Amino acid sequence: MRKGRGLRTYTIFYLIFLYAPIVLLPLFAFNDSKIIAFPLKGFTTDWFVALWHKTELHQAVLKSLIIAVTTAVFATALGVFAARAGTKYRFRGKGPVLGFIMLPLVLPDIIVAVSLLVVLLRIGMGLGMTAAILGHVVICLPFAIAILNSAFSSLDQSLEEAAYDLGETPFSAFRLVILPLVMPGIISSLLITFTISLDEYIIASFLVGTEETLPVYLFNQMTKNSREIPVVLALGTVLVLFSILLLGIAEYFRRRGIARTGGKDTGGFL
Amino acid sequence: MASAERFGKWRRSEGLRGWLMVSPTALYALAFLAVPLVAIVALSFVSQTGVVTYDYTPTWKNYIEAFVEPQYRALILRSVIISLAVTALTVLTAFPVAYFISFHVTPSRKSLWLFLITIPFWTSYLIRVFLWKVILGYNGVVNSALLWLGVIDEPLGWINYNANAVVLTLAHAYAPFAILPIFVALEKIDRSLLEAGQDLGETRFQTFLRVTLPLAVPGVVAAVLIVFIPTIGDYVTPRLIGGKDGTMIANLIQSQFLRQNNAPLGSALAVISMITVAAISLVFVFLNRKNMRGGQ
Amino acid sequence: MTPNPLIDLRAVQKYYGDYHALRGIDLTIHQGEFFSLLGPSGCGKTTLLRTIAGFEDVSSGVVMIDGKSMEGVPANHRPTNMVFQSYAIFPHLTVAQNVGFGLRKDPRSKADKDKAVVEALAMVGLAGYGDRAANALSGGQRQRVALARALILEPKVLLLDEPLSALDKKMREQMQHELRRLQRQVGITFILVTHDQEEALIMSDRIAVMFEGEIAQLADPQTLYRRPVSRRVAEFIGVMNFLPCEVTQGAGDAIEVNLPGLGHATLQPDQCPSGGVPGTGSVGVRPEAMSILFEGEAASGQIAQAEVVEVIYYGDMTYYEVRFDAVEAPVTISMKNIVGRPVLERGDKARVSWDARSLVLFC
Repeated sequence: MRKGRGLRTYTIFYLIFLYAPIVLLPLFAFNDSKIIAFPLKGFTTDWFVALWHKTELHQAVLKSLIIAVTTAVFATALGVFAARAGTKYRFRGKGPVLGFIMLPLVLPDIIVAVSLLVVLLRIGMGLGMTAAILGHVVICLPFAIAILNSAFSSLDQSLEEAAYDLGETPFSAFRLVILPLVMPGIISSLLITFTISLDEYIIASFLVGTEETLPVYLFNQMTKNSREIPVVLALGTVLVLFSILLLGIAEYFRRRGIARTGGKDTGGFL
Repeated sequence: MASAERFGKWRRSEGLRGWLMVSPTALYALAFLAVPLVAIVALSFVSQTGVVTYDYTPTWKNYIEAFVEPQYRALILRSVIISLAVTALTVLTAFPVAYFISFHVTPSRKSLWLFLITIPFWTSYLIRVFLWKVILGYNGVVNSALLWLGVIDEPLGWINYNANAVVLTLAHAYAPFAILPIFVALEKIDRSLLEAGQDLGETRFQTFLRVTLPLAVPGVVAAVLIVFIPTIGDYVTPRLIGGKDGTMIANLIQSQFLRQNNAPLGSALAVISMITVAAISLVFVFLNRKNMRGGQ
Repeated sequence: MTPNPLIDLRAVQKYYGDYHALRGIDLTIHQGEFFSLLGPSGCGKTTLLRTIAGFEDVSSGVVMIDGKSMEGVPANHRPTNMVFQSYAIFPHLTVAQNVGFGLRKDPRSKADKDKAVVEALAMVGLAGYGDRAANALSGGQRQRVALARALILEPKVLLLDEPLSALDKKMREQMQHELRRLQRQVGITFILVTHDQEEALIMSDRIAVMFEGEIAQLADPQTLYRRPVSRRVAEFIGVMNFLPCEVTQGAGDAIEVNLPGLGHATLQPDQCPSGGVPGTGSVGVRPEAMSILFEGEAASGQIAQAEVVEVIYYGDMTYYEVRFDAVEAPVTISMKNIVGRPVLERGDKARVSWDARSLVLFC
């Protein structure tokens, strides 16, 4: 076990490396200095208070929430169709079609951004929140499908047949049996696509036009306004807490889903 | 009559039901992914004549410019080198972590460890990158802490606003992407194979080299692809902490579209980056195939 | 009691692409019988069951249930219910909700439906389990819930797709007897798919043995065991020894065969399913149809000399492999270990008695 101990130490250092920035975040968000440097000065909540008075930030948060909720609903709904088709039916061309839908997983986001920009401008559709939603659904779909696929494929096919056999129509069988069983997967897909959209910068910056979303606002603060750094860190602290909360909820539902269908936990979202 | 019957059969067939089911998603991907991708490929063969005027005669002009202009050529090359460096660093440092979780953690706690590793990934990417900027900056956390502790006399220059900082930040961002596929590959290894290796008189280390490592190759290749592909197109990290010689191809594409207002050249650069990614990825996939065949 | 036809399959064919899963099945299953479809995996027995249930369309041919063609009738409108191999218990519902699942559109009052659920659970021996989570049940209990859930709808036919294959040996034997008892109690036609020949013999009124999408033999258990129509059926059902023989006279009521080392035998027509054609063939004989004569035991048929080459002791039985003088392959004989009867050893000489009535001729 000597070898195992060395690896354990290494892994713990690795985790420290992974968490270091996030741990520093609240440290400097509560630090009473505009300069982000050691030694720490004193404790303050000024930077958090400042967040309350920034109306353009509140506007940006609202827009991002609208975009993220809409994206999550559409990506998950479209993901249900694809995951159901992929797990239930065998048909010619299934691999290429699903593979193509999953393509954004290996496509740099900037390509999705510029290509959509070109087309949307060409067809005369203005930029704005709708355009950003269209782009976000494209990049969120692969994640939604991956999560929903595992939810649908852990279902025993004979459960659905049993429902038909007991007198249900395909529609009512879906509603009474399939939907309740994949609901945890649907919820974690909603949460994860919501998180991705909420955090997405590059596509939003291309497609959103003059409507600043939260990441666009953040990015502009980071690049232009160096006096505001502690405020940005305070905002970051809030965002990180919020995403950890969402992630906890998503993990809870994922585990519950596995427990429900009687499967075995294989861990991780990816 | 016969064709009507065949139509009736097809209407009830699994194939049609599958296509109907997938069609909303497929149509969406067609409209907002396939059409736009075709559009930028088409646009990359157009030449810009004025601010909003184009000459639609197909031309290689944009591609020639992208390769001839030394600044562009250097940037494309640098993007590839930075991405490869990030990939190598990430995968090499991730492997021991994946190995530890797969082989030295009791099964019931594995998902907890994986969860711990994935948490940072789900927090805001922008914030994480920005934090590295703050940490590595000239007057940043690392320099100020080292100065304060008296380790150095003046701030270190080589850790900020350059390619090194970009590599470190990206390696941090993509760590879970590298760990998970390697972990999955290691988990699939039948533990009795390792016992067999030692039973046949090999040391632990020999068994690792001759059994574990070859079987982990598919996971390593997946990790390489999953890190390499998105990093080459990353925009935020080079823009925020890359400084002058840390910029990458995505920054160039962005500036062609939004600042220089030369969408055709931007499209050509986008197509070049896609082709570069695809070509390098195929090399890795090919190497993996060869390895698998050798193993049989 | 004259049997009442309930299910009629006529020339049923099923293709999956190029794969010919069912090759012209003609079959009549009667009201109230326990019928088994028996065969190795991939023989088409499950496909046949699923065409009756309505989960698979037939490529050609007719499926009739209770006099009505089932063409175009989906599974939810057929008078059949199924117990699935995986039981398909809805994991998000309680036991009572599972059992009452099919009563959703039933016009009865809620109280009546609840009563029906309680009765169905009692019938399968799960009284008081209604409020349990379906997830918390053992394999045997899931099986019972699946039975109750199907039987509560009072189907004309209950279809059972390898329902016992997931249970351990003891549980399986218990459920075999219980299923048989339940079938007699409710009087519904049961169609069981199984690959376990012993299970089929124990439970069924009639058995259809299937190979490669065709029915090889359709008979009651005793006929199937004693008079298999082909070597393949004989090998699939229990153990059978095959001895080379010469058919000397094939026509008429008495077929004469010459068995090297054992002598002559005269067979009745029912012992020759494929007819008696003069020439070489083989006869089949079950291990228990031959016996070794111990001291003081009288022969009930003909006698031959043999040598014991292997002894396998099972406690209640002993299996001997013996070699007759003129037969190359050893023959297996099973003997009950009754009080006072010794167990022979390898190399011992043995007198073997056999009866011509227990032979089956395969040409």
